[in-house]
Amino acid sequence: MSPRKIIEEIKKSFPNQPPYQWSRFDSSPWTPISKPLSKSRVALISSGGVYIRDEQEPFNAEKNDLSFRIIPKNISVSKLAISHYLKHPNAEKDINCIFPIERFRELEKEGFIGGLADPCYTFMGRIFRRTALQTEMCPQLIEMLGSCGVDLLFLVPS
Amino acid sequence: MIARAVEGSGIPTITLSAALDITELVKPPRAVFVDFPLGSLVGKPFDIKGQINLIKNALKEGVNITKPGSIVELPYFCNDDLSPQTCFECSIDS
Repeated sequence: MSPRKIIEEIKKSFPNQPPYQWSRFDSSPWTPISKPLSKSRVALISSGGVYIRDEQEPFNAEKNDLSFRIIPKNISVSKLAISHYLKHPNAEKDINCIFPIERFRELEKEGFIGGLADPCYTFMGRIFRRTALQTEMCPQLIEMLGSCGVDLLFLVPS
Repeated sequence: MIARAVEGSGIPTITLSAALDITELVKPPRAVFVDFPLGSLVGKPFDIKGQINLIKNALKEGVNITKPGSIVELPYFCNDDLSPQTCFECSIDS
């Protein structure tokens, strides 16, 4: 079974608009991984629009929300909610489908990873303001990660 | 693009991917593709074993990537109708 052609699906979803110009790169940055997983502090980030109900503001679920939410690694998932343009019933039932925080806690307990970094991070996808993403969001995240002693970042899109 | 920036700052990254065609353009440093739907990329609700296996496979394959911009395709599939009930086939078990 061949992978779905997402770019074509998106074009068909917006027939009256010119095709979105996706970012294209010829090469990739690279930082070698220096520790085995069992000794690595892994940070988790999801673009699933997850936030702490009653304590944090929901995201702008339409687009171009440049903010992050800080999610303590040991939070009960019952306190989490989703504000996202894509409302998938699976994520509404089990937030781990888009933000596998419980699964990473289990991997930490098992010793598969050295540890889950605290905190975890979420944001809302559909960011079309690419310059702001690169000049505002990314430096903010890099600064936050830098203070946590992170060895590896695992990103889950949604 | 976030993965690219974080990697460039000195922190290695692994990106789970749901859109192979987009990932091929953006080229995050290390990507692991699973053909599950966005909104349920880690697997079925409450399928702890399935979700754990997917994450473990993604991490194991991701750390073994040696060529920047590589995408490893894991054998996770959905049926064409993407229905949550019939989706989430996987031909590996770790």
